Amino acid sequence: MSNLILGVGEFGASKSSADIVKTFALGSCIAVILMCPKTRTVGMVHVALPESKINPEKVKTRPGYFADTGIPALLQQMAGMGCDPRGRGFIVKLAGGAKIMDPNNTFNIGKRNALAVKKTLWKYALGPVAEDLGATYSRTVSVSLATGEVTISSPGRGDWKL
Amino acid sequence: MKQRATREEILKAIQNVPLLSPSASQLLQVTAREDHDIQDVIDIVKCDSALTARVLKIVNSVAYGLAYQVSTIDRAISYLGDRTIAGIALGDSASALFHKELAGYEGPKSELWNHDLRTAIAAREIARYATQPLNADVAFTAGILHAVGKAVLSDFLSNSANDVLIGIDSHEVGDYLAGERELVGIDHTEAGFELAKNWDLPESLQMAIRYHHNPADAPQEHQLLVYAVHLACIIAMMCGSQASDSLQYHLDKNYTDFFDLTSEQIALVMLEVNESFDTLNNAMTDTKETQI
Repeated sequence: MSNLILGVGEFGASKSSADIVKTFALGSCIAVILMCPKTRTVGMVHVALPESKINPEKVKTRPGYFADTGIPALLQQMAGMGCDPRGRGFIVKLAGGAKIMDPNNTFNIGKRNALAVKKTLWKYALGPVAEDLGATYSRTVSVSLATGEVTISSPGRGDWKL
Repeated sequence: MKQRATREEILKAIQNVPLLSPSASQLLQVTAREDHDIQDVIDIVKCDSALTARVLKIVNSVAYGLAYQVSTIDRAISYLGDRTIAGIALGDSASALFHKELAGYEGPKSELWNHDLRTAIAAREIARYATQPLNADVAFTAGILHAVGKAVLSDFLSNSANDVLIGIDSHEVGDYLAGERELVGIDHTEAGFELAKNWDLPESLQMAIRYHHNPADAPQEHQLLVYAVHLACIIAMMCGSQASDSLQYHLDKNYTDFFDLTSEQIALVMLEVNESFDTLNNAMTDTKETQI
């Protein structure tokens, strides 16, 4: 068994049944999980910010950083692994997008991330079958290729399935 | 919540925390003075060969992306900023404290350092948006130090995280600080403040440690710095943290009296935190074995 660990703004996919795809400590970031049942491929992108227009230069080095460029980049990688390029038949799950207790909502990047992720998914006619978004706790997310199970954990709160 | 220790036990534990190295201590004192001379900083660093090597390694690391090699300590200090040097010395001197497993907060080894370095970078960036002059290097150093009290409390908080979180979720306690006070009679801001006094840190840093979650309570002359660290700590948690207290604090909305920050600018600060963290962390830790 090997772990495909994804840092902030990274994306990746695997079709090895022994693998775990994992990302640590999502705060306001969101893990977008794309699963292709036909090829048994699992992909994930760790999205940090909603829109790439804030820093177009960054897109060249790390497209996964933004919702609007990260999801297309992951779809492209998975297409190279034999999956449908527009994600037809994919199972989509989302986790993350936490918030701080903020009366002004200025700091609610998590909510903006969630909206941008869904907006990008809609362009491909994709939508999540399950999501664990918002609230005020950090999340570590892992996907087992052997079982397809998505597990979320948070310090002090244990772990649960998505 | 069942009490795990008394305030007196915590204060006693603080007395047993090793003092900072002489060079770190001197650098923090000297650089806290607005009118200090950079030559004083150079003289202190030159007397500490390990620190000299470390500073040269950092200035020449990819984190700073210089096109040429810096080989003299004078130029390295000029480039990095003398107060950043104080932060580097601090990270070295209290390495064991910063890198220990944060068991009481269910955080892995180096979690405190990772959060503190993210906070330091965020504080440095936030300084750009201050409505009054704020020295970015002081904000960086305050960020490095702000949560040091957790290193002390952690040893007394084993297996308590779930209790605190249930208390917060059920509104039994207002935030994680209140949970800490119920469990050990003191919260990490006050424990850090007591440690800062023991270390004889400059007053501005003591205030940043003491009030970073309640900036409105800080003395007026220190509020600008304290609010910077307050916001930076929150941004660091939004960027990701593996500790049970992550995001379990309130944002003080009066930060707008000191900082002109839009959502987009906050996103830019987060981008910089994520961008700089890995390279700066590698540069600041790869020349020294962590002592636990």
